[in-house]
Amino acid sequence: MQKQSDIDVGFGRSVRRRRVTIVFAALAVLLVVLATLNLCIGSLNVPIPDLLAILSGQDTTSTNYQVIWSIRLPRLIAAALLGGALALAGFLLQTFFNNPIAGPFILGISSGAKLVVALMMIVVVGSSGVMTNGMMIISAFVGSLIAMVFVLLVSRRINSMSMLIVAGVMIGYICSAATDFLITFASDANIVNLKNWSLGSFSGINWGDIGIMTVVVILSSLAVFFLSKPISAFQLGEQYAKSMGVNIRVFRVALILLSSLLAATVTAFAGPISFVGIAVPHVIKRALGTSKPLVVIPGAFFGGAIFCLFCDLIARSVFAPTEVSISAVTAIFGAPIVISILLKREKARR
Amino acid sequence: MDETRVGGTALGGASERPIYLETKDLVVGYDGVPLISGVNIQLHAGEILTLIGPNGAGKSTILKSIVGYLESLDGAVYISGRPVNELSAHDLSLELSVMLTERMRTELLTCADIVETGRYPYTGRLGILTDEDRDKVREAMNMVHVWDLRDRDFMQISDGQRQRIMLARAIAQEPHIIMLDEPTNYLDIHYQIELLNVLRRLVRTRDVAVIMSLHELPLARKVSDYVMCIKGDGVVAAGPPEGIFTPEVINELYDLEPGVFDPITGNIQLEEI
Repeated sequence: MQKQSDIDVGFGRSVRRRRVTIVFAALAVLLVVLATLNLCIGSLNVPIPDLLAILSGQDTTSTNYQVIWSIRLPRLIAAALLGGALALAGFLLQTFFNNPIAGPFILGISSGAKLVVALMMIVVVGSSGVMTNGMMIISAFVGSLIAMVFVLLVSRRINSMSMLIVAGVMIGYICSAATDFLITFASDANIVNLKNWSLGSFSGINWGDIGIMTVVVILSSLAVFFLSKPISAFQLGEQYAKSMGVNIRVFRVALILLSSLLAATVTAFAGPISFVGIAVPHVIKRALGTSKPLVVIPGAFFGGAIFCLFCDLIARSVFAPTEVSISAVTAIFGAPIVISILLKREKARR
Repeated sequence: MDETRVGGTALGGASERPIYLETKDLVVGYDGVPLISGVNIQLHAGEILTLIGPNGAGKSTILKSIVGYLESLDGAVYISGRPVNELSAHDLSLELSVMLTERMRTELLTCADIVETGRYPYTGRLGILTDEDRDKVREAMNMVHVWDLRDRDFMQISDGQRQRIMLARAIAQEPHIIMLDEPTNYLDIHYQIELLNVLRRLVRTRDVAVIMSLHELPLARKVSDYVMCIKGDGVVAAGPPEGIFTPEVINELYDLEPGVFDPITGNIQLEEI
């Protein structure tokens, strides 16, 4: 009897473990394939042998080398890092609000960040200063925190999942409208660039941006990973989490700060990007067959990276030489997933 | 003995057992408004204390205040001799586990995953279970007879099964005290009896102390070592079940006409039509 159940446990766990391994292997393959495609495809197509020569340092003079090193590679790294950051921000917000369609864009947090960045740009650039990356991140962080506080105030008063989302969407609209006003009345050439950024794009990212972006994203993602344990307790609800020894107050603040920082960093460099935060964690959970944070967090990070590489490839190649905004592409692929979540929930309720 | 003080003398050798839970003149309520005052509990290892009383009398309020979900307004709560407000969340989790009435919504978590969260206080930084932890999980699940459900999705089992999974979770936490808020909700009579048997076994074999609220009076009478009756603004009666389940006390507690309900047989008399 005892033996039999030993075998059973081993069996159930090894099946799950194998599934996790397969999913992560698939993510790794997809990441490599999409990274390669992103480097090769563009207005100038680079064949794979040439790409290898460039990456291994044998070719350091051709035009291809210039294109790969100064344009495509930083853009690729940015798309991957920021995509991962968005997926994690979404996962944290879904955990926090216990709401599967919460995300930084839909709750207006990205738009809050956008508004404050635009405001700062106009003030700083208007007084003939230059906006540094650090200032961009800090103002985006302030903006996302302000929007987050509004969402929190609303969530205290209403207990309905859908109303929370509606409130978030409204906050997003207000911030976007205010940003549009600012942009419309700004005349400076630098500020006109704001318009492209405010639609969302990975273009124009250089190596200088990559440095600070990597530090912020990697550090906050690691912090999220080390919150796996309290997050798993929080999945049973606040009271159970408390009874297991989670310091709820500290944990809540950590979730708010980390999700805001991740969303803010994305907005600072690439503008607001929709749906990644909702769609990716959802797909990853289905693929892994579990919502255990210990595997979902790394899975969502890689999933977000892959999804953004894929969408960026489409954004810049389908209508080349014209670029589509990244948010338009992520919405086309992400919104149907959100609808499927809603339909599934409705079915489960019946 | 103070009429509202519970515990200590009825069980053989009880005085040598450690006191796991003690409250002194506890006053509980919401938003600074006292609801119930004068709650004095002394619960030893291996004892079951049941709170009974009409709906909305504040049984849950007392339970919530003991674990600190609600700020108590006055008086003190001691867990294993230490004031509860001096315990960190982690220390408290080693002393006390809970089973709540709120329905929870999980996503893609198996029953085993849920029970495993009971090992939370014992696992390391990332919460990875050791083989020993898994043994404890299996032991707890076997005790409640839910081991067969281990790979099922928690959202796709019946309410009664979920309730038992949550009990297994509370057991896997290996606390001194288990607190259950209306644990027999959603259970049919078969599982109500089984759940109480599990609690009894737990109390006898592991020397756990149990404090819970119950609606079913016959069950409360059978399972409890002590019963506390909550009504209005305080504790109206407390003591071993023999003293509580008398027509006088129960009729007074639930505002029943004499002869309508027999607390010993559970027999009820309906109005003549």
